[in-house]
Amino acid sequence: MSDRTDAPIEHDLAPGEEAQHTVGERILGYVVGLGLALLLTATSFFIAGTNLVWQPSIPVALIVLAIAQMGVHLVFFLHITTGADNTNNVLALAFGLLIVFLVVGGTVWIMAHLNQNMPPMDQFIRMHS
Amino acid sequence: MSMTATAGHTHADPHQIGRVVEHTGPAPKRIVTAYGFWIFLISDIVMFSCFFAAYAVLVDQTAGGPKGSEIFDQRNVAIETVCLLLSSFTCGMASIAADEHNRFWFYLGMAVTCVLGLIFLAVEFREFADLVARGYGPSRSAFLTSFFSLVGCHGLHVSAGVLWLLTMMAQVFAKGFRADILRRMRCFALFWHALDIIWVGVFSVVYLLGSGA
Amino acid sequence: MLGKLDWSAIPFGQPIPLIAGGVVLVGVLAVLMWVVVKGHLPYLWHEWITSVDHKRIGVMYILLASVMLLRGGSDAIMMRIQQAIAFQSQGYLPPEHYNQIFSAHGTIMIFFVAMPFVIGLMNLVVPLQLGVRDVAFPTLNSVGFWLTATGALLVNLSLVVGEFARTGWLAFPPLSELSYSPGVGVDYYAWSLQISGVGTLVAGINLVTTVLKLRTKGMNYLRMPMFCWTTLASNLLIVAAFPILTATLAMLLLDRYLGFHFFTNEAGGNVMMFMNLIWAWGHPEVYILVLPAFGIFSEVVSTFSGKALFGYRSMVLATMAICVISFMVWLHHFFTMGAGPDVNAIFGIASMIIAVPTGVKIYNWLFTMYGGRIRFATPMLWAVGFMVTFIIGGLTGVLVAVPPADFMLHNSMFLVAHFHNVIIGGVLFGAFAGFEYWFPKAFGFRLDERWGKLAFWFTFSGFYITFVPLYVAGMLGMTRRMQHYDVAEWRPWMIVAAIGMAVLSIGVICQIMQLVVSIRNREALRDRTGDPWDGRSLEWATSSPPPVFNFAFHPDVRGEDAYWDMKVHARKQALEHAVPEYHDIEMPRNSPTGFVCAFFATVMGFALIWHIWWMVILGAIGAFATFVVFAWRDHDEYVIPAAEVAAIDRVNLEERRSLVSMAGAV
Repeated sequence: MSDRTDAPIEHDLAPGEEAQHTVGERILGYVVGLGLALLLTATSFFIAGTNLVWQPSIPVALIVLAIAQMGVHLVFFLHITTGADNTNNVLALAFGLLIVFLVVGGTVWIMAHLNQNMPPMDQFIRMHS
Repeated sequence: MSMTATAGHTHADPHQIGRVVEHTGPAPKRIVTAYGFWIFLISDIVMFSCFFAAYAVLVDQTAGGPKGSEIFDQRNVAIETVCLLLSSFTCGMASIAADEHNRFWFYLGMAVTCVLGLIFLAVEFREFADLVARGYGPSRSAFLTSFFSLVGCHGLHVSAGVLWLLTMMAQVFAKGFRADILRRMRCFALFWHALDIIWVGVFSVVYLLGSGA
Repeated sequence: MLGKLDWSAIPFGQPIPLIAGGVVLVGVLAVLMWVVVKGHLPYLWHEWITSVDHKRIGVMYILLASVMLLRGGSDAIMMRIQQAIAFQSQGYLPPEHYNQIFSAHGTIMIFFVAMPFVIGLMNLVVPLQLGVRDVAFPTLNSVGFWLTATGALLVNLSLVVGEFARTGWLAFPPLSELSYSPGVGVDYYAWSLQISGVGTLVAGINLVTTVLKLRTKGMNYLRMPMFCWTTLASNLLIVAAFPILTATLAMLLLDRYLGFHFFTNEAGGNVMMFMNLIWAWGHPEVYILVLPAFGIFSEVVSTFSGKALFGYRSMVLATMAICVISFMVWLHHFFTMGAGPDVNAIFGIASMIIAVPTGVKIYNWLFTMYGGRIRFATPMLWAVGFMVTFIIGGLTGVLVAVPPADFMLHNSMFLVAHFHNVIIGGVLFGAFAGFEYWFPKAFGFRLDERWGKLAFWFTFSGFYITFVPLYVAGMLGMTRRMQHYDVAEWRPWMIVAAIGMAVLSIGVICQIMQLVVSIRNREALRDRTGDPWDGRSLEWATSSPPPVFNFAFHPDVRGEDAYWDMKVHARKQALEHAVPEYHDIEMPRNSPTGFVCAFFATVMGFALIWHIWWMVILGAIGAFATFVVFAWRDHDEYVIPAAEVAAIDRVNLEERRSLVSMAGAV
């Protein structure tokens, strides 16, 4: 298995690999990514501690901001794009995210119902005492 | 696998109309290694999702102990977050330097990444030690159990990352920018950036959502 | 100094484990002595233990699975005898021992028989079918195997040092929490699964990457043999599901070791979350096992019917559909925990939906056979036996997927019969079919057909005699895991089941006899062409056993059933008379990394189980040092010169030429 980096274009990009860019362009990509990430982080911290926005919207806003920031990281730091040479990487990620969604969403949903119908012992005692 | 890298297409159908695109054969090692590591990262994220799920289920089970809003310190979290974000940036700089075979910028980028990672770990360790000292250790309640496990699991990953980072620097020092070393460097960068993504989930879901409630 | 370990850990008072352990120990020592005295040690070390060749590692996986099958089978025999005689009496197994046996039986059969068997077959066959020289990460492959072996070793160590879990094969809390299981049994269980789980994850990553990134020229996705597709699906499930197991067991261990409160009764812990998480792994796990079996049957049915697989694309679609839906049904394992009608209904419907793609597969196999020239060789017998058995198991599965029915049948012997029906009838029959089918490829000679057919018929009928009574007993209200019982009408069924177990054991003995007889007659059974079954995929295009580099050239694939295509057209390729131009081939070097790593993992696992903290640190440092040493190597490949490749390949071509011209004349 030799390492032919001069392989013709027909192969996909490796995960984290960028299409051909100059050093300057690559650094610029990271700078933009860092800027956006810091901005989104600052917004999250601000929203969490402020009274200026409608309070019930805060959790939703925080989750939206978190997802946005994850997207920024994926695009600018991990170089995940929608290009054809990235399809395999994106598909693997999509599969993983589907599983994450099923596990977290399913667990929260199931456990909420279970807790309601079959409360854990200490809650049960609290309810009946 | 260096097989017959026969160049040039013999087909007189440059736009490949009306025929199946033939697979070109095994991918080069550079792609294979990074892809394998990518799959590992995805499995790691699934593992984290279990700890997130456990946290979501147990977050209200304080058993008479403190709630999140009573123990979280926003300032600490902000410091940790900035450290990790900057370290992701410097790690990116180190990867560019590695691709350009520039030792100075590589060492500098990695060293700064390492220092930022260590600051993050120190702040987190102090937070944990402080909580335990106040009697709010993981055994206090199911909420604290899930909090310590989720955040601690991320911390363990960062520690492993620092260990890997130092090994990586030693390897470049001893072996130079060989093809296999560069492959590993790429995997390390993926790992470090992925930890950052997880941290975005942690500070949003645990610290920010938790301190509001 | 030695943590919780002292002389009381050795069960001097219990004759059964002591004698069993003693016999095994003597056996292992005898084999070791024989190896050393005969001077086989260097051969074993250089050619097998340190090998990174996917074929060798596959064989070692299957060997591990076979040995563990005997261990798990012994547990099964003991349980059947106990239940046959324990009517209004204590039988011969005291409760705490009986509980360890059913826990060990389940753990061993799933993690150390079924898993290594299918992973071994995938390792052995998939690179050959894809037309490449090895898996994506050869050394990691070896690490994965040896970590699996470590897990198996720790489970078996519990037989003589300490005890095994008494909690059932999934160690449900609160029973598995420290307050109710203070012994080391659950720790043995959890640590051996954590260590072997890492091995499984490594194997999964390796095979996913191999299928997606290492395919020969022209091997487009929709030209891959069905077994490669099911391997992809199964390993995607490994990658997605095993981290859940790791996380869940880690939580249980944190509860036990550091006083956390994930699943405890106190301080807000939630027992039900364990069931939820462990089954989020557990249900995909059954598809991890059965999907490769589906792939094996697809290959076998198509080869022995002499036809291309019917509905190839629908088969691919069905496989990938199962891969995703298998993550949406886990709640059906705990309908009775009380999630309520809407949750139960949705998971019940999802569980029934997953039967649809499975049904598609059954019809595809039947239509493949329809109009074919069917040869009933042993692998084909297993395939047909599977179809009959799996349909019954699948239908009882759809039955228990209906929540109201499940409330009646949950935790009963009916359920025990159901999952043995699908796991034996699906996974084990598949493993045996694959074993018979690919044995000539791995070793260069076929297996004896007469003993093989005997083994099939005894196993097949033994299975029904054992498990149909369990269905009946379940309907009569018998619950699972009973050490003794007082209901007279269950007894006859337990006796019939015990007789069935005896028939099954004869089947296993026939299988061992088959191996012995075949090895003795190996010259007569020699496969010189590399294609003993008139096969259709690329593994048959190379010699049996294949050279270390598998193929002198990466084959050029032009369609489905790549090798069949070549034979029919007698392709002017590697097989034609023109002397091909050979090149040097680079192959990965053997490495003791896997073995050394597993050694340290064993030390660390054992130390963690017994709370010997200094030894834990030692093991961890050792494992890390092994990785660093491995990472520091300068030469990870060696070159096979073109002349040597040519010499090896010519022999194969000569043998094969007659075969190709014969097929070409058709």
